[in-house]
Amino acid sequence: MAHRIVGQPIARLDGIDKVSGAARYSADVTLPRLCWGKALRSPLPHARIVRIDTSKARALDGVLAVLTAQDLPDLLVGRRMFDMPVLARDRVRFIGERVAVVAAVDPDVAEGALGLIDVEYEDLPAVFDLSDAIEAGAPVVHDNPGAYEGAPAERPHPNVQSVLRFKLGDVEAGFREADRVFEHTFTTQLAHQGYLEPHAGVVALDEGGRVQVWASNKMPFRLKELLALALRLPPERIRVNLTPIGGDFGGKGSIMDLPLAYHLARATGRPVKMVMRYTEELMAGNPRHPSIVTFRTGVTKDGRIVARRVKALFNSGAYAAFKPAPSVNLGGTSMGAGVYRIPNLFIEGMCVYTNSIPCGHARSPGEPQVVFAGESHMDMIAREIGLDPAEFRRRNLLVDGDHLANGHHLEHVRAAETLEAALKASHWDEPKPGPWIGRGVAMTHRHIGVGFTNARVRLTEKGHVILMTALPDTGTGAPLVLRQIVAEVLGLSLDEVEIELANTDDFETDSGVGGSRVTHTGGRAAYHAAETLKEQIDAEAKKLGIPVTSLAGVAQAVAREGRTLEASHFYDAKSHAAVTSFTAQVAEVAVDPQTGQVTVRRFTTAHDVGTIINPIGHQGQIEGGLIQGLGYALMEEMQTEDGRISTVSLGDVKLPTILDIPPLTTVLLHDPVGPGPFNAKAIGEGSISAVAPAIANAVADACGARIRDLPITAEKVYAALREPRS
Amino acid sequence: MTRVIRLSVNGTAHEVDVPTYRTLLDCLRNDLGLTGSKEGCGVGVCGACTVLVDGKMISSCIALAVFADGHEVTTVEGLAEDERLHPVQQAFVDAGGFQCGICTPGQVVSAKALLDENPHPSDDEIREWMAGNLCRCTGYYKILESIRTAADRSRA
Repeated sequence: MAHRIVGQPIARLDGIDKVSGAARYSADVTLPRLCWGKALRSPLPHARIVRIDTSKARALDGVLAVLTAQDLPDLLVGRRMFDMPVLARDRVRFIGERVAVVAAVDPDVAEGALGLIDVEYEDLPAVFDLSDAIEAGAPVVHDNPGAYEGAPAERPHPNVQSVLRFKLGDVEAGFREADRVFEHTFTTQLAHQGYLEPHAGVVALDEGGRVQVWASNKMPFRLKELLALALRLPPERIRVNLTPIGGDFGGKGSIMDLPLAYHLARATGRPVKMVMRYTEELMAGNPRHPSIVTFRTGVTKDGRIVARRVKALFNSGAYAAFKPAPSVNLGGTSMGAGVYRIPNLFIEGMCVYTNSIPCGHARSPGEPQVVFAGESHMDMIAREIGLDPAEFRRRNLLVDGDHLANGHHLEHVRAAETLEAALKASHWDEPKPGPWIGRGVAMTHRHIGVGFTNARVRLTEKGHVILMTALPDTGTGAPLVLRQIVAEVLGLSLDEVEIELANTDDFETDSGVGGSRVTHTGGRAAYHAAETLKEQIDAEAKKLGIPVTSLAGVAQAVAREGRTLEASHFYDAKSHAAVTSFTAQVAEVAVDPQTGQVTVRRFTTAHDVGTIINPIGHQGQIEGGLIQGLGYALMEEMQTEDGRISTVSLGDVKLPTILDIPPLTTVLLHDPVGPGPFNAKAIGEGSISAVAPAIANAVADACGARIRDLPITAEKVYAALREPRS
Repeated sequence: MTRVIRLSVNGTAHEVDVPTYRTLLDCLRNDLGLTGSKEGCGVGVCGACTVLVDGKMISSCIALAVFADGHEVTTVEGLAEDERLHPVQQAFVDAGGFQCGICTPGQVVSAKALLDENPHPSDDEIREWMAGNLCRCTGYYKILESIRTAADRSRA
């Protein structure tokens, strides 16, 4: 079906504010009498707080308030499991935990005051290593985690936060059918989401007694609920005002410093701004979990997978508070099944407390870890059984009617087509151009997100339509996608559809941004609201005897009767659709035998897609996710030493720069069957997870070095090249 | 200790009394209300705070305000003329060279400085020049395309 506006490469209209510096992010919000909050953080990974003396800080000129846990309600906060204090009360559990907070007339004075706060600590035994933490006799991070609100019941060790399992068939029986069984273990690093806007927020108590919040948070309604709990206020007292968000990638869904900003606002009687320094982000943000992942797979002589057992251990750090899922675990663990039909499957994911930075959600949470392990494992098996890695995959791909690890059944499976498209575009079957050059393939799939989203459309007297949305702009271009959908449905030009940003007073609830949901849920809400408005317009036009295309005529006629045409839709997708989005990627790398340095010579990414609403934005999601995956594969790492992050500058974390991007070929398989508007699917998390294993497999192909620990640095390849071969 | 500095920002003269430790970025954002320049890393590696001082790119998060005394500063707010976007800014919009936009002020200031010095750079020259401007959203492909577009349009 041809569309007028849907599918057009329309430029971002909100771009003018962003390229001109006019866009106001949370850190840019200013109010009369605004003052600044800064948090003092623990220098120790596990310690009892003996005493805090704030008198010198209070005496500093320009300091307006200094608060410790004694000044705050005794409660715990979290997104799903409530285990984290707003300020440490009697014990600190990681380096970077907030211990006290200062409000001052400017940020420099506030930071200066932090140095004047005297805290006496008494060291406690600490545990950092993921495997050590679940040994008998390990130091216990929380005395009674089962008592926390939202804590899962199962707790095989006091340091276990949660256990998540997926089962298909009978895994033991499956292994008995296998001719050969392979087991490999992989490890992945601690990695920050890398958004360049550190967490920022402003809290003001207005004259009506309401709490006004501006925050870099992608779920304003959940934020309102969580703040109401954290501040012991009725939710209606709180209003979250939307601002653009300077990058999210899963990390901007918590209350972070906002309760502190509120308490400081109460203490000072002034609006308070808190902006984390990037160093604080790296010490105490909510980065991607490091992992140890073991795959055990049984295959038959002819290369069919008959059984698989996956165990994923995630180092969750000192608190579970940043994980939003009811399981308090990482859903990406289910990707242990990969894109394959595995009749007998058992996957177990375990999140573990340590005295380290608490981890949270990052773009496709849990998947880059598990897909790196699983897709590296697939190649290692293929080589052992003498099959081409692509052929081994081909023999095991999901087909229509298969079930995913979570029991969800699939239709319209395009795994094979996606793989073949990537192989063809990457010239997989052609000879490699030289020595020390290798190719690697990896695959994944990503569901189309679910959630609940509002849209309200209103016809103006000009005949324009105003679309009200409460979805914050995290940068994906979602507002433009929604405008295109409304314009398409109503037969308007894009200029005739305007966006009005809602705040949390305007709707009851909304699940916000995340989990590859916005085009689906926000798009469907906008679509249905626009359809309803169109019916109203058509009915009025008929009644008035004017053409349905004269929107202004209809609007003016109803305005004369004191009416406005308006329609709302609340779209609630509770369960995943039976379709998913497959990704197949091929890396071609060169390895320098002298140094171990890996260079990605070419990268091919193939995606089975739905209807693309905006091709510029769609491609932007693919490219952005892919380069995040490349950074995760080759360079990004937050290094730690006894719980202390040693890479506390963004320069040390090594995000990819424009010099690091390889020549890229994108293949889109158009066969639109999706749950989104106009048969759209999701793309936001589709390109990140298979990059690291594609590169790891290419490195192994190039030089025989199998790197099982991310990132794949030159040092690791160099060492592997010099290992004696068995 | 504070000091009165005189600087020109986007063609407007300012006199500001600043503590000697205040960064140029904080002075622009908090004293002058020009919040277009952003603080990302705070240590001069991400480029979100890039401004021009006498036409040369600097990271304003690691430059002290007092060093700008007597100099001309250009920020992202100063690129457009008479409400018309600078060709570099327009190219970033047209080619999708931004997503969240937090790095964009620094990207467009750096790109403008590049094209002022080298109006028709090769891809390698663009990459070399822009290596100090991190972007986490776009994967850089469309930033490269934006700068190419701006350069091509100036040729036309």
